[in-house]
Amino acid sequence: MASSEIKPGLLVSLQDLHPNSPFLKHGASLRVIGKLQEYSVETARAVIVDGSINLKVDTQHLRDLSFRIGSIYQFIGELHIKPDDETILQARVGRNVDGMDLNLYYQSLQLLRQFQDEQANKQN
Amino acid sequence: MQNTRVKLLASDFLTLTPKLSSYSSSSDPTLFFRKGKQVSRIETLGVVVSRERKGDRYLKFFIDDGTGCISCILWLNHLNSTYFARRNPSDVRLIADMAQDYATSIQLGVLARVRGCVTCFRGVLQITVDDVFLERDPNAEILHWLDCVKLARKFYDVPTVRPPLCRPAQYFNNNNSNKRTFENLR
Repeated sequence: MASSEIKPGLLVSLQDLHPNSPFLKHGASLRVIGKLQEYSVETARAVIVDGSINLKVDTQHLRDLSFRIGSIYQFIGELHIKPDDETILQARVGRNVDGMDLNLYYQSLQLLRQFQDEQANKQN
Repeated sequence: MQNTRVKLLASDFLTLTPKLSSYSSSSDPTLFFRKGKQVSRIETLGVVVSRERKGDRYLKFFIDDGTGCISCILWLNHLNSTYFARRNPSDVRLIADMAQDYATSIQLGVLARVRGCVTCFRGVLQITVDDVFLERDPNAEILHWLDCVKLARKFYDVPTVRPPLCRPAQYFNNNNSNKRTFENLR
């Protein structure tokens, strides 16, 4: 079957984006979640944080989203790694996910990955 | 599975096996199978990551559930379609109005639950949309993943055991429990 045209944002936690991470690739499509730590109206740049890890997010393409420091946001987009090693997610889609049970989210993510591995092994 | 709405992750949906039907004149497959079981209707839930409207004909959009992207087509041409011409005009008007409402609700970044039929267009699997429901609870997507995993492990992956077409004659002749049941009914 021909594949669909749009790449899915791989589900990752900010903890997954450590320097040796396989997800940390220029152009990788990712879906991330974190608490909004900073937001600049002039540059449309946001910084989200999860524990001690933070990530810059370029939100210039998101028109209808209002930003509130301390709220939890989810972004889907492509990772850009600049020559000076600055990592920034170019967001295509974003939404406020205040009220999400993050413990449940991360535990379910592990189950989901386990399930997908099982299904892939069965097919092989 | 053929007569229920199967909850599938996008990664699962995109590996359905299409087959051409001998009863259909379409060049695209019209039958779809998951591990040998036929799937016709499905339910998905995810973030809308793309939408493209073609006038009053249709809205094409993509749902990203984190495991893949599913192409969805929502038809909006009910009032001009010959397929609906034979049906009651007030019913068709209602269906058309609902489809317009669904199309308006599908915006980039919303979390949408989409139900519809599995179809194939130019080699790409897609959902022909029956209805759309916008989820306000951000935990809905997590619960959908868990539902999909549980249903696949407990039901969809389990081989179907067909009940025997008829029981041995001995079962009916010597079955005392049946006799007791009849007596109780008297």
